Amino acid sequence: MRDAFRRRALPYLLSLPALLVCIGILIPFGTAIYYSLQRYRLNLPHLRKMNWGENYLKFLTDSEFWNTLQVSLAYTGLTVGLELLLGLGIALLLQRSTRFNNFVSILLLLPLMTAPALAALMWKLMTNPNFGILSYAASLVGFEDMKWASDPSTALLTVLLVDIWVYTPFMMILLLAGLRSLPRQPFEAAALDGVPRTFVFFRITLPMLTPYIITASLFRLLDSIQQFDIIYAMTQGGPGDTLMVFQVEAYLQFFQATNIGKSAALLLVLWVITFILSNLFVKQWLRLREQAQGAG
Amino acid sequence: MYEKEQDRVQAYLDGKMSRRELLRSMSALGVSAAAASTLIGLGSTRAFAAGFDAMQHQGTALKLLLNKHPYTDALLANLEAFKAMSGMEVTYDIFPEDVYFDKVTAALSSRSSEYDVFMTGAYMTWTYGPAGWITDLNEWIQDGDKTNPNYNWADMLAGLRASTAWNGIPGGALGSADAKQWCIPWGYELNNLSYNRNMFDQAGVSAPTNMGELLEVCAKLSTDVEGVYPIGVRGSRSWATIHPGFLSGYSNFGERDLTVGDDGTLSAAMNTDGSKAFHRDWVKMIQEYGPKNWSTYTWYQVGTDLGAGASAMIFDADILGYFMNGGGNKETGNIAYAPFAANPAADAPTPNVWIWSLSMSNFSQKKDAAWHFMQWATGVEHGLFGAQQMDFVNPVRQAVWDDSTFRARIDETYPGYLHQHDVSAPGAQIYFTAQPLFFDLTTEWAATLQKMVANEVPVDEGLDMLAESVNNQLADAGLG
Amino acid sequence: MDHQSTLERVVRGVLIALVLLFFMFPIVWILMMSFQTNEQILRIPPSLAFEPTLENYQALITGRLETQAGTLDIRFMSNLWNSLVLSVCSVALALVLGVPAAYAFARFRFRLGEDIAFTLLSFRFAPPLLVLLPLTLYFQELGLADTYIGLIWVYQLICLPLILWIVRGYFEDVSPDIEHAYRTAGHGWLTTFRRISIPLTAPGIAAAGLLAFIFAWNNFIFALVLASADKQPVTVGALAFVTASGIQYGQIAAAIVLSITPTLALALYAQRYLVEGLSLGAVKG
Repeated sequence: MRDAFRRRALPYLLSLPALLVCIGILIPFGTAIYYSLQRYRLNLPHLRKMNWGENYLKFLTDSEFWNTLQVSLAYTGLTVGLELLLGLGIALLLQRSTRFNNFVSILLLLPLMTAPALAALMWKLMTNPNFGILSYAASLVGFEDMKWASDPSTALLTVLLVDIWVYTPFMMILLLAGLRSLPRQPFEAAALDGVPRTFVFFRITLPMLTPYIITASLFRLLDSIQQFDIIYAMTQGGPGDTLMVFQVEAYLQFFQATNIGKSAALLLVLWVITFILSNLFVKQWLRLREQAQGAG
Repeated sequence: MYEKEQDRVQAYLDGKMSRRELLRSMSALGVSAAAASTLIGLGSTRAFAAGFDAMQHQGTALKLLLNKHPYTDALLANLEAFKAMSGMEVTYDIFPEDVYFDKVTAALSSRSSEYDVFMTGAYMTWTYGPAGWITDLNEWIQDGDKTNPNYNWADMLAGLRASTAWNGIPGGALGSADAKQWCIPWGYELNNLSYNRNMFDQAGVSAPTNMGELLEVCAKLSTDVEGVYPIGVRGSRSWATIHPGFLSGYSNFGERDLTVGDDGTLSAAMNTDGSKAFHRDWVKMIQEYGPKNWSTYTWYQVGTDLGAGASAMIFDADILGYFMNGGGNKETGNIAYAPFAANPAADAPTPNVWIWSLSMSNFSQKKDAAWHFMQWATGVEHGLFGAQQMDFVNPVRQAVWDDSTFRARIDETYPGYLHQHDVSAPGAQIYFTAQPLFFDLTTEWAATLQKMVANEVPVDEGLDMLAESVNNQLADAGLG
Repeated sequence: MDHQSTLERVVRGVLIALVLLFFMFPIVWILMMSFQTNEQILRIPPSLAFEPTLENYQALITGRLETQAGTLDIRFMSNLWNSLVLSVCSVALALVLGVPAAYAFARFRFRLGEDIAFTLLSFRFAPPLLVLLPLTLYFQELGLADTYIGLIWVYQLICLPLILWIVRGYFEDVSPDIEHAYRTAGHGWLTTFRRISIPLTAPGIAAAGLLAFIFAWNNFIFALVLASADKQPVTVGALAFVTASGIQYGQIAAAIVLSITPTLALALYAQRYLVEGLSLGAVKG
């Protein structure tokens, strides 16, 4: 009887401390929701009042908002997609656990260890038309007028390059972990039967790796849709509104315009989008787990 | 303490002895150069203390919030002198400029009483003032008990005093009779040309004096000087792109950012014909003669390029050109300075200014003591110390500009600097309209310029769109 | 599957070389810059040849930067120390809280279990700015503003979800049968958890801990907003070299190198664990 109770209570006891520590954060979160329902600008205090959903309603007709949404989603899709492909490719290259491969995998973590804000500063120097080694290299191969982050047509590309450089290692290391933890039997059986390698990859490796792919992509997605450091340091959202993503816009609204109401509303929209996307990922992940356990 | 040393220091302060002589005689007495600096500080601080109870806040501890800047370095080099004079304790937090204003906003919006005095610019007080975060300093300046009779407020350059005072009414004229003094000017910069003498000699050109000449000189430079672009200006998506060279030239044609109606309402003025003409020249200048990466250029890149010999001139803060003539730069010693009035019909330059100032936090628990410190930090004595021995330039006080030691030092190593300043100072002031949407509107203005330079939108159409958007935002905030 | 044709080896080698080139080139470039003066860095066109100088490192380590305007104090070493304190304590706390919770979600099906797990994950996607603004006000009232404890608490937003979700996966990979066998031998739950479950997943925990450490190390907005200058991490500290008189690229490069070093050391030290952690499949057989 006591045992049964303890068995039922145990999981709660184990997970509660973590929850309690984070729950404190919910109070400021609630405050932020309250702010988002107000007309609230720190430097126009006399205009402060509840305006309920007006901040949100205004977004519907605000072309800048739709631009921000579009840029944020495009940026997230491109970074997560490209980093997934690249990370998976590198993980496959390093799959065999040799001394060399393990050393390379640690080396590849170096970009991730460089703080994005500082990395962006260095990339800005490397792409400077006068002193930048990359600009110089580009000019040697014929791209003399490459304007990198300062031209609307290449700005996204440049920032993507930096994001890929910083975060692909994250993808790579998680997928490498997944690859190396796959059971050997199916592969050995396939090898014995002489199954073609592409078939093995698409029918055995990939499906078994999917839970890892989902976890890694989920964390990249959470960071990428909230990208701030790299874009802010490289272009502050410009040129024009080319790279204006949610966090940069909300940051400017808060720290420069001191428009708390609008900033909070923007961030809550971002939160809802993230919530929905994460939910999809987690549902998928849980479904796969059910399947795996059902099969095993 | 050391009587002999003090006599020497007094002689120096009275102008009877040069700095070099002083240091030599000091080292004969066994006093190092660093210690000598402190003694000079102490000596000049004694002058400040005459006829005023310098010890009235003895034992009080203040905390400052400072930006990493040469002005801060000058303050810290002299801070011991203030502590000794006042018996006060002063601690400080220094943050890098990249994040400094965000830190200030975070600290003030949380109503933290941690900091008593902080560095700011006049534009920022247009937010801090209405938000209730800072104190109107007139209350102290006018108070004979709290302000040293030698403080000499009138000695502060008039344009700067006015530019840091605003009545809080959107569109209200700076420095009006009912204005509140939101901050005290500390050090400032005005916008003119700094150029590379060697490159100008190579192209056989001299400093241009108006926009038309500027474009001609640029054309000559771009053909005659290899591997260098003619002119550097800022271009990042920020208010900081609008306020230096751009607004200085713009104002010289009598153009304004906003107009204030008779009923006090504000409306956009960026789409007048004059404004469009100026924008066209400016955009052309950047496209043809500016840095390739212009739209990512902040103050740092503009300065770095001049210092490293990548650009032939800049239309930016005079003080930026000043720093680039200093140590560690390839072009040290090659930089010269010239006043610039963009409009051929104008009598004199009308540089917009950036004023590093000191503000008092409204949440401070020790306002009288804070004012005591602010008086000293913005006083003539500390100004002289910083201008003579550190890079506390440009001074905000006439007494410092009149100081022969300072003038001699500048004239020796910074050719044309005094001239460009003296010619421009009468017209140097803030040319923006003071109003709470300052950062929203200038950031959008910069974004529009970026689109024009990238040929995404024609100049005229871009400005019409900008004006419309600005008017909507003003109306939305109840200002239009 | 161990048979590789020569062609495949060559292709593999070339691909790895390309990957290394792309990811390592900026690192090598930063390393080289850290031994150059600003004047050498800002050459047109950029050049590979330079005379190495140690003055950047000297300035950072001794905390004194000699310029013609005088000697400036640099707080870089104390920034480094703050980063270390904040990251180590945050990860340690996140491990203490996160590992048992991860175990609970992996081993037990319980009411609201998935909801709690998702809630914990959701802290990761609250945009930091959103909670930061109100948090400054509450911290002021609670007296947590400008304390390590307050910061370490907020850092849980970064570390805890990451550790929780990665470690959970590892626990799920370890068969419950092994634990069962140990428990039927008469050992209690806690002993089993300590002696069997943790050691079996240790490499995975180490890997997750390392990643959380990296993310905590790279954060800067939390400390910037919530703490005064003496508690700032290297990410904020390194920006001090963006000065009014120019960007000191050499010192920033040296700062990056110094700030990577502890993390790299940790990664190399934990390499054995990481490698094992990466091949957990062996345990599963």
